[in-house]
Amino acid sequence: MTRRIVVMLMMLLVVAAGMGIYAWRLHKKVTADEERLAQQQQSAAPPANGPTTNVTLYLASDADATLYKKQLSIPLPAERSEQARAILRALFGTYLQSGSQHPIGAGADIRDVYLLNDGSAVVDTNAAFADAHPSGVLAEELTITSIVATLNANDAKINRVKIIVNGAERDTLAGHADLRRFYVASNIGQLAKELQ
Amino acid sequence: LEVTELSFGLRRPVTFAVLIVVAAGVLAIQFTGRRSIVHAQVGAPGQIAVFSPQSSYAIPVVDVGGQPYVGLVDLLEPLGSVETKLDGKKLKLHFSSAGNKQQEAELHDGKNDIKVGGKKLKLPANFVLQNGRGYISLSSVSELLPRLGLQPVDYRTASQRLLIGNVAQRFTAELKKGTPSRLLLGFPAPVNPTVATEPGKVRLTFKRDPVVAPEPTVHYDDPLITGTSFSEHNGIAELEITGSAPLMANFADGGKTIIVTAAPAPAPTQAVQQLPLSVPQTAATALPQPTPQAPPRPRFLVVIDPAHGGADIGAAITPQLPEKDVVLALARRVQHELQARGIAASLLRNGDYAIGLDQRATSINAARPALYIALHAANTGKGVHVFTELLPAESAEPGGFLPWDAAQAAYADLSGTVAGSISAELENRKLPNSTLPAPLRPMNNVAAPAIAVEIAPPGASVDEIASVNYQTQVAQSIAAGVQAVRAKLPEVNP
Repeated sequence: MTRRIVVMLMMLLVVAAGMGIYAWRLHKKVTADEERLAQQQQSAAPPANGPTTNVTLYLASDADATLYKKQLSIPLPAERSEQARAILRALFGTYLQSGSQHPIGAGADIRDVYLLNDGSAVVDTNAAFADAHPSGVLAEELTITSIVATLNANDAKINRVKIIVNGAERDTLAGHADLRRFYVASNIGQLAKELQ
Repeated sequence: LEVTELSFGLRRPVTFAVLIVVAAGVLAIQFTGRRSIVHAQVGAPGQIAVFSPQSSYAIPVVDVGGQPYVGLVDLLEPLGSVETKLDGKKLKLHFSSAGNKQQEAELHDGKNDIKVGGKKLKLPANFVLQNGRGYISLSSVSELLPRLGLQPVDYRTASQRLLIGNVAQRFTAELKKGTPSRLLLGFPAPVNPTVATEPGKVRLTFKRDPVVAPEPTVHYDDPLITGTSFSEHNGIAELEITGSAPLMANFADGGKTIIVTAAPAPAPTQAVQQLPLSVPQTAATALPQPTPQAPPRPRFLVVIDPAHGGADIGAAITPQLPEKDVVLALARRVQHELQARGIAASLLRNGDYAIGLDQRATSINAARPALYIALHAANTGKGVHVFTELLPAESAEPGGFLPWDAAQAAYADLSGTVAGSISAELENRKLPNSTLPAPLRPMNNVAAPAIAVEIAPPGASVDEIASVNYQTQVAQSIAAGVQAVRAKLPEVNP
């Protein structure tokens, strides 16, 4: 083996080591960015200015499979669909706090709420809501019941709710609860009573 | 080699280069070794059919380093009680089957020396661990199973059929010459092959019966039936009967006898159609005769659906324990407990493969069960949750046309009765439980009484969800709950 080949091998080793260090730093940066983004999304909450209004949240608890009511005072926009969105973002904000009794996937958010004249509401969630939601019949059912009951408790005109993900229909939330159907508020109200 | 020389490298360049090449070689071996196992998980080439006195089922075969392997727990679970414990690269296994004492085995990843019941055993190929699951080569199955108390073992390589215990059904073939001649096939137990006919041939395909032939081919010196040919492939057995004229097959003696004879000639005129088509009875035909098709008798069948399967793992109970495996083990226990109470039960999924939600619903409704039970598992909550479908009760009568998405509504009351009965049995066994409606597919599409059961760990430890004791208690509760309300559930015509 000539000296030239040895030098070349050494140079290749140095380059490989350099690339390794660069990849490691890049990985750390991406992780830090993701954490920062998740923290930003975890604080998904209504705007903190303006007069506040009392809203009712139906919060789920996994440990004992129950729903309980909680009053919260938050600033609400004037428009109905924006109000519904703000209330659901407050609900998600509670679930995303550390120590939540019903954790949902990091980054879960409400993209939009569409209200139709026949009393239907279509809740458009982001992909993280469904992709990172804990999988299980009970866990998914509690989330859906919590969303529908909360919407109906704060806007009695909403009598049925459909949940879509990233603007599209999805078969199930996380492998179990059906997302293809409209949930009738009176049915869910009955279920919410059983769960209290 | 001197450390100083190595650290500078340039003084002995050849040594240094050799070291780099060796290091690269080691890395390459590691890399390719990992790839071969990963490939095994992705590219499953097929499956084997397993027949045993306890259960008949199919398990997937994976390719590890060019050799066919099967999951150890997949293979053993339907045959008895299995508990595994992973300790680094070592898998400890406790297995017991009916009538045999519990056996303990120790297997190490990448090694073929194992211990069973304290004695050493050398397998033909290495044991492999992948994602916490143990795999053994098909060539090792015949060595390992007898040591676990399961024998005799007959692995039929060509047909990928594994016969455990004395389950092989050797049939007899007797030609009764006459006008027309008849071939009488006798089986030790009732069989249920699919029958296909084509000009001059009848083909019997045995998918669920461990049928084996005394001879692969037989030739007959007969003007009508000229011979039989037996073959096995892809987990099934086929018996082809050839003749010089169109043939037909009739079942007799409760499915233990199949009679192959000439198919009746097509009727040329109305007058001939009115003639009796039955074969004239002769003194020589003392053997069982084909019985006329009786109207189907109503029967009580429970279809058990272990949710998920294949790439759809369901919930990750732990990183090594997917929901699909937990519910398959539970489903087999529920089936066993139901059968022990004299209730016919079948599994919608009896292996690790995917079934879509609509496909599940179609299969369930086609089976026309008296009851459908879906099984789920999760690591949230505690104890057992029994669900009925969350649908508004509708006035639709069972039996008529039902809307696909709300077919379950007509059976809501009966489903609630079953759920309540199971909940009471869980209560009797002091298992924490609740009964709730849930929006769960494909339960809403099922045109029969239907419930879903989701098990969560009974206590603080998540691993308890897979414990034999817990699952057996849950399975007994479900079976006892069904048995208690069986009289209220209608039997259904198949």
